[in-house]
Amino acid sequence: MKENVIILGGGIAGMEAARQLLLLGERPVIVERADHLGGHVADWHRLFPDKSPAEDLLEGLRPGLEGAEIHLGTTVSSLNALKDGYNLTLSDGSKLHGRALLFATGFELFAAERKEEYGYGIYNQVITNRDLERWFNTGKDSRLSGRPLSKIGFVHCVGSRDLKAGNPQCSKVCCMTAIKQAIELKERFPFAEVYCFYMDLRLFGKKYEDFYIGAQRDWGIHFIRGRVSEVAETLDGRVVVKAEDTLSGRPLKVSLDLLVLMAGMLPNPSATALARQIRLDVDDDGFLRSRDNLAGIIASNRPGVFYAGACTGTKTVPETLAEARSAALAIHNYLQDAK
Amino acid sequence: MNDRIASGFAPFVIPFVVGMVFVLGYCFYALVKILLQLPREDRVRFLRSLVTPRCIWKNVRDIFCDCLLHVKLWRRNPLLGYMHSSIAFGWFMLIVLGHVEVMLFVPHRIHFLYYPIFFNYFVAETSETIQGAALFFLMDFFLLIVLSGIALAMIKRVRSRWFGLRRTTRPSLLDRVGLYSLWSIFPLRLLAEGFTAHISGGSFLIVPLNWLFRQFLGNDMNMLPTWWAYSAALCVFMCVLPFTRYMHIPAEMLLIPMRNAGLTIRHPRRGLARVEVFSCPGCGVCIDACPMTVKKANTRDATVYLNRQIRRGNERRIEEISDKCLLCGKCTAVCQVGVEGPMLRVAQRATRHYGLEPDFSGLDTAPVQNNMERFEGAPEGERVAYFAGCMTQLTPGISRSVESVLKKAGVDYRFIDRDGGICCGRPMLTAGRFHQAWQLIRKNSELIRSSGCNVLLLSCPICYKVFREHYRLEGIRVVHHSDYFHELMEQGRLRVEKGDLTYVFHDPCELGRGSGIYEQPRRVLGCAGYLTEAEKNRRESICCGGSLGSLTLGFSQREDITKAALRNLTEGGPDVVVTACPLCRSTFRRYADRPVWDLAEALDKQST
Repeated sequence: MKENVIILGGGIAGMEAARQLLLLGERPVIVERADHLGGHVADWHRLFPDKSPAEDLLEGLRPGLEGAEIHLGTTVSSLNALKDGYNLTLSDGSKLHGRALLFATGFELFAAERKEEYGYGIYNQVITNRDLERWFNTGKDSRLSGRPLSKIGFVHCVGSRDLKAGNPQCSKVCCMTAIKQAIELKERFPFAEVYCFYMDLRLFGKKYEDFYIGAQRDWGIHFIRGRVSEVAETLDGRVVVKAEDTLSGRPLKVSLDLLVLMAGMLPNPSATALARQIRLDVDDDGFLRSRDNLAGIIASNRPGVFYAGACTGTKTVPETLAEARSAALAIHNYLQDAK
Repeated sequence: MNDRIASGFAPFVIPFVVGMVFVLGYCFYALVKILLQLPREDRVRFLRSLVTPRCIWKNVRDIFCDCLLHVKLWRRNPLLGYMHSSIAFGWFMLIVLGHVEVMLFVPHRIHFLYYPIFFNYFVAETSETIQGAALFFLMDFFLLIVLSGIALAMIKRVRSRWFGLRRTTRPSLLDRVGLYSLWSIFPLRLLAEGFTAHISGGSFLIVPLNWLFRQFLGNDMNMLPTWWAYSAALCVFMCVLPFTRYMHIPAEMLLIPMRNAGLTIRHPRRGLARVEVFSCPGCGVCIDACPMTVKKANTRDATVYLNRQIRRGNERRIEEISDKCLLCGKCTAVCQVGVEGPMLRVAQRATRHYGLEPDFSGLDTAPVQNNMERFEGAPEGERVAYFAGCMTQLTPGISRSVESVLKKAGVDYRFIDRDGGICCGRPMLTAGRFHQAWQLIRKNSELIRSSGCNVLLLSCPICYKVFREHYRLEGIRVVHHSDYFHELMEQGRLRVEKGDLTYVFHDPCELGRGSGIYEQPRRVLGCAGYLTEAEKNRRESICCGGSLGSLTLGFSQREDITKAALRNLTEGGPDVVVTACPLCRSTFRRYADRPVWDLAEALDKQST
């Protein structure tokens, strides 16, 4: 009888790891708190750099999960380490035992209300990157419906690289997501002016730079280097954004119909709480600490505990998938060695 | 009473006379120097106050209450109060009564400086002494009082917590010399008078002591050495006094009339600042009070150390301490002498020369002017201009609530900086860049006058304090929203329903200590729900750590300050922390485990 490999989190990391473990002949068990698999990707409409539908990615992962035990809408109430593995009590009262444990717990999106100066939750014209993707997916958002959008702004680094918001990390994906979303809005509202307020553009991956140049050249999106200082509402139901254009060295004020905040990635607090129960190291940025940051990213400080995806830091989709495969292989080897 | 020594002189008085002449000479020199350092108008103002009857009375009363009786210390901790007033008042009474004795019994000796101090040595008891029994009794009584104070002072060195002091300063070497000589003066006086009492007479303390000594000492050989020792102790104390913290004794007597004359610090080292620095008794009450000292590394940035460094002339540390301070003003609030630590620091900052001097005189206010909501014509009655200021612009939740409350109360208002405005000038003031601050203040004054208002409503206490103290807005009432909303409730223009939430109110530095508004926000909250109090509140409220005052305190260093302030607020388990400052609110929200609201938000939720 094969022993369980427990996967905490059913996002793309958990799904891909489970798929690979099944291929390797192991018995993965996914515990997911939401009522569906897919994590944050399931909330997304299209993914950079090719604007491929997020649903296609998930669709590619799902068939490989046949045979895996999946607990949806379930959280872990307690977790303890035994001599021969890990014991979990689930929120439905059942118990699970696993020889190995994979944290695929992902990240939490920064709560944009915390940057009150941007007015999220106060002004109807202010939404987040996730709200926009949901709207692309569902077409439903009371803040967006029935309004012509002629001027749109994007604020980069909301809750990322921001000490005052308690997160000095770069969230890595928002620069590209903002460019992607800007282009997508431009596709829907070809006559709209779109502004991106950024402090740095971090476009490091394959095709990213082309995408950025295309956004300027082909879509006419304006990139303004400077952080937004404050957002206020005007009497005619728009928002005024005040920023500084640091390249021209001038303060700038622009009225917008829609402002999209690129909320960043924060450590998932429930993952941190679980990690503490079995004394896993937590890094000073709040993410789980890998054994080392070059060759041991998926390894933890405890035998039998592995990491995949954004639980150890901010990750892109391909990085997450690669880590999931790598973790699956490491778990397989670990179980083989234990025999 | 008879003169025992015909010449009225004994060699042992020499050390005392030397010390006394030195200290008086030094104080006179210091007084002249400080008067010359004062700007002319301040000097005239000060000297004029010294001959104004009302001021004279106030000075006498304050000096008596503060320097001798230490009334403020009594309020802080009775044991500490007793210790200080017993020594100061007791000693003062010994000197006064000594003079009375001389005038009464040997009036021809009154011009001898040392006679009242060594009176018992120079006189012999006669049959008529009984008439002076009450005086003798009082002398012994006050000596006993002083001795009890000295005993407490010794205990305080090892058990400072009994006196309500958690942390205190480490005295420097000279301070220790002064301290030990002060401690030894009165026991030596007791011994000297005890050895002499069979000749000079005395009362309940020294007569039995004399009897006791005579039981096993058959001669008077100890008499002269103890008088010498007593005189020497006095000499040492007075000679080191100008260089120790005991300089606060004469300095405070100058500080009180200067403050009563309305002088303010103009220069970080000269004039009033110098008097304040020398008035610091080095007690260290400000160490526990300073919000920065939750981190032990910051202990040496408390005001007491600033004073010490200024006295030593350690420029590097003076700059460092001056820049780091949050300017919350709590050290001044707890200081017995009232040393204005924040003002000393701002004055120090003002001496700095910057390579780049921004010039706001050319600031174009036309765009603000053109987009400003204003009162056209001059409608009758109250015309309220709401100025949110930059901090409230960053917290739109507050300005929304303020507007909502104003609408509910039917107030005719204009949100004059809805579309942007000009800085009130406070950051430039705290940085000591007064010239730039004045440029902003002038521009802003024009804008506010052009709004046509007669009430200027502010939701930010930082703006409020600056508008109140530095702006000349004749005919315009400057009011903070906590005060104004309280008024609206009193007038019945705003109906408030009592909710079931428990609030704790955090006194923002600029509103409480800075502007003296403590009651109004509490009354408003008391109507909107249930009010609990934090352990440290009102004048002793702990700064949130977000203050603009500090020029160098890093973000991570402020975290501990904020957390400590939050602990103080949440200990009683309130549902919501309420404050009346957008900056405090943002700072607390970063680390709070429960909602943090502005007063306007709490009121908006409960009012109709």
